[in-house]
Amino acid sequence: MTPPPDNKLRRRTFLTLWLGWCSTLLALGASLAGAGRFLVPNVLYEPNRRFKALKPDDYPEGPTFLPNLRVFLFRKGNSFRAASAICTHLGCTVNLAGEGFHCPCHGSVFDQSGVVKSGPAPSALSWLQLTLSRDGRLVIDTSQAVNADKYLVV
Amino acid sequence: MLKGLWKTFQSTRVGRSIFRIGLPESKLERAQVAISSFLLHMQPAKVNRRVLKFRTTLGLGLISLYLFLILVVTGVLLMFYYVPATDYAYQNMKDLEFVVTAGLVLRNMHRWAAHLMVLFVFLHMCRAFYTAAYKPPREFNWVVGVMLFLMTLALSFTGYLLPWDQLAYWAITVGTSIAGYAPVIGQKLKFMFLGGHVVGESALIRFYVLHVVLLPVAAVMLIALHMWRVRKDGGLARPDEPQVTQEELPPAQLPVTKTYGLMELARGTTPAVGIKPEDEVFAWPDLIFREILLLMATVAVVLILAIFWNAPLEQIANPVHPPNPAKAPWYFLGLQELVAYSAFWGGVVVPALLVTALILLPYLDRKRKGVGVWFSRERKVAITIFTICVSAAVVLTVVGTAFRGPNWGFQWPWRPIHVEEHAEP
Repeated sequence: MTPPPDNKLRRRTFLTLWLGWCSTLLALGASLAGAGRFLVPNVLYEPNRRFKALKPDDYPEGPTFLPNLRVFLFRKGNSFRAASAICTHLGCTVNLAGEGFHCPCHGSVFDQSGVVKSGPAPSALSWLQLTLSRDGRLVIDTSQAVNADKYLVV
Repeated sequence: MLKGLWKTFQSTRVGRSIFRIGLPESKLERAQVAISSFLLHMQPAKVNRRVLKFRTTLGLGLISLYLFLILVVTGVLLMFYYVPATDYAYQNMKDLEFVVTAGLVLRNMHRWAAHLMVLFVFLHMCRAFYTAAYKPPREFNWVVGVMLFLMTLALSFTGYLLPWDQLAYWAITVGTSIAGYAPVIGQKLKFMFLGGHVVGESALIRFYVLHVVLLPVAAVMLIALHMWRVRKDGGLARPDEPQVTQEELPPAQLPVTKTYGLMELARGTTPAVGIKPEDEVFAWPDLIFREILLLMATVAVVLILAIFWNAPLEQIANPVHPPNPAKAPWYFLGLQELVAYSAFWGGVVVPALLVTALILLPYLDRKRKGVGVWFSRERKVAITIFTICVSAAVVLTVVGTAFRGPNWGFQWPWRPIHVEEHAEP
């Protein structure tokens, strides 16, 4: 394409350039977006976040650690509640220490209701929703947080 | 004898087709061999005499490169046995340790070379700072260097995840949780890294692909750019010398019968500007010899470390219980110490600020003072600030490594660390 003598941008050149750049950027953007979306899995082969545990009477008085869920189940007579053992700081598993919880990775300390006493954890341990299934077993939903004072009374 | 054999080979058609210039004998051939050989053309035909002196750079950049080469070779070999699946990965490590011939030594070499590379890339950065090698025209090459340092850390992080032992599992858990603290995109980023909500198979394969393909390819390209720019910016940084202008050169100095060829264009203080011919030496054999010597020394040191010390392998990954204390390798313990104060400030803000400061450094501190001089007195302020930052990093690392016990509590280093392992029933 020869430039016009007066150095003005001709309509045809302008349209060609505009169309060319737009389509190039569009193609590039679409490819990047597609590749990015490709990396987000559609199906997760992960354990279900709702978990059916045993019957309430199968658990002893006091705390029980459910390892595959990383959950502490507390029983006090007829009332039950469940705390997540996943530290809110960086995801390590906390240990029961006396009345409260201790995180071994970065030293966060929680009291017995999960509230941070010291250390870097930004928020309290979460208490998880407990329900009773039709066949009388405890169901723990690790994706549903509830208030610390909520008990399941059976 | 060897030389005779080589000469015979060189005189054949095949020999000449492979090595165009034989063992150089004249000065012309010494220049030609550096220019015409693929491997040797990375350096100029002639270099400044300073380049040969060990104290100019202490060989730190070259050692980093050699460590990277060792890592590529041993890494490719390890790939023949390693399967990136949670059911196999740990067993493959045990096989490498106890069953595969030389597997233990290769894994050890890979691990120790990785540790050394982090150390030497860091030292190389300190060298570039203390000799003011980032001043114009080398600003951007410093930035490339900072990226290579980050690349080195990313490579080592993705690397120690692969054995799927306790260190690996809890390092992914903690590392991706730190990513989750990034503003706005944090949780999305964490999900992308893990390929799900929990640390498992999809996380392992993602980190594997990063470790063996994406990051090494990116590192190779950045290393090539880094070295190419060293050439284009006029070789190693050196002090300004009194400029010799064209007029001052008496024409009689130039020999009358000489053919010149354009070998290379470089800007700034190019090898040809301001240097008298007696300041220059041919790369072959003086520089090449030193480089090969350094390579052999590097390989020897890594090999000795690998023979006498085994790379750590903790118990098999246990998603229920982290070891107590759960410690990353030493070069991340400074970061872990920061994170133990606050995940957001220590894990996101401080590292981001430090990296930004490192990248901006050559654009803020632009005066050409003290270039090529160790600890120049003209740069007191810059040197003080940098030294404080480096010391802080070293102190944090030492505290995290030696002074932290169970539950990340303070502990004197002479008290033995008792790592609680949870025995499963």
